[in-house]
Amino acid sequence: MTSIDVRAADGGVVLAQSGRLTVVTAPQLRATVTERLAAGDRLIVVDLSTTEFVDSSGLGTLVSCLKAARQAGGDLRIVAPTEQVAMVLRMTNLDRILKPRASVDDALQG
Amino acid sequence: MTQYARSEVDVAATVESIDVVQAAFDAWWTELGDENPKTRFAFEIAVVEIATNIVEHTHRAEGSSGRRFRLELTADATRVTAVFTDNGMPADIDLSTVTMADVDEESGRGLALAIAALDSLDYTRADGRNIWTLVCGR
Repeated sequence: MTSIDVRAADGGVVLAQSGRLTVVTAPQLRATVTERLAAGDRLIVVDLSTTEFVDSSGLGTLVSCLKAARQAGGDLRIVAPTEQVAMVLRMTNLDRILKPRASVDDALQG
Repeated sequence: MTQYARSEVDVAATVESIDVVQAAFDAWWTELGDENPKTRFAFEIAVVEIATNIVEHTHRAEGSSGRRFRLELTADATRVTAVFTDNGMPADIDLSTVTMADVDEESGRGLALAIAALDSLDYTRADGRNIWTLVCGR
């Protein structure tokens, strides 16, 4: 099953995307990030440790959300991508702008 | 191990069908018994990207048209093959000109990812149908 778990944390908000992040589910992540930025959160942490699969739509959404967070004066950080997600980030060179953090705590601390 | 596992799905050309395609892929891969995750990751991303491309092309060209597409997954000892067939409008695409989008772009990675992941990707138009053939070594 695909779902997004939203958890407020010290310094930001943690979004845990479980299941797949694809053309089917990416709009839900985008809407959640838009909502959190509007609510005043500035540091968006996307926990990818239970994301089994990402496609180009999912990647495009992460880029879009990163831009939106930075435009709002904040940032978006990704955490612990699984093997498939890490492979696709490398193939697209997106690991350069979406540098994976080892843990949620690392991401929250900068 | 079922080296020659075969699967076929016929679905509406809609975004929701991508989940159906992935569920069929998952069942087929399990039956295949291939234990190399790298082959799976490469082949699955290519299958999902081409399926999405067909859905988006159909939607752009024809709107909500009731079009469908078919996916056939096969394997032999040395390779896995996916064939997509649809009777939509011709895809106006030159695969030799596809490049990976820059990192700050929000789209334009799908076909480049499929090409990078596969040993071969071919598109042909025959008998009024679009045929995409994806091949990956195993």
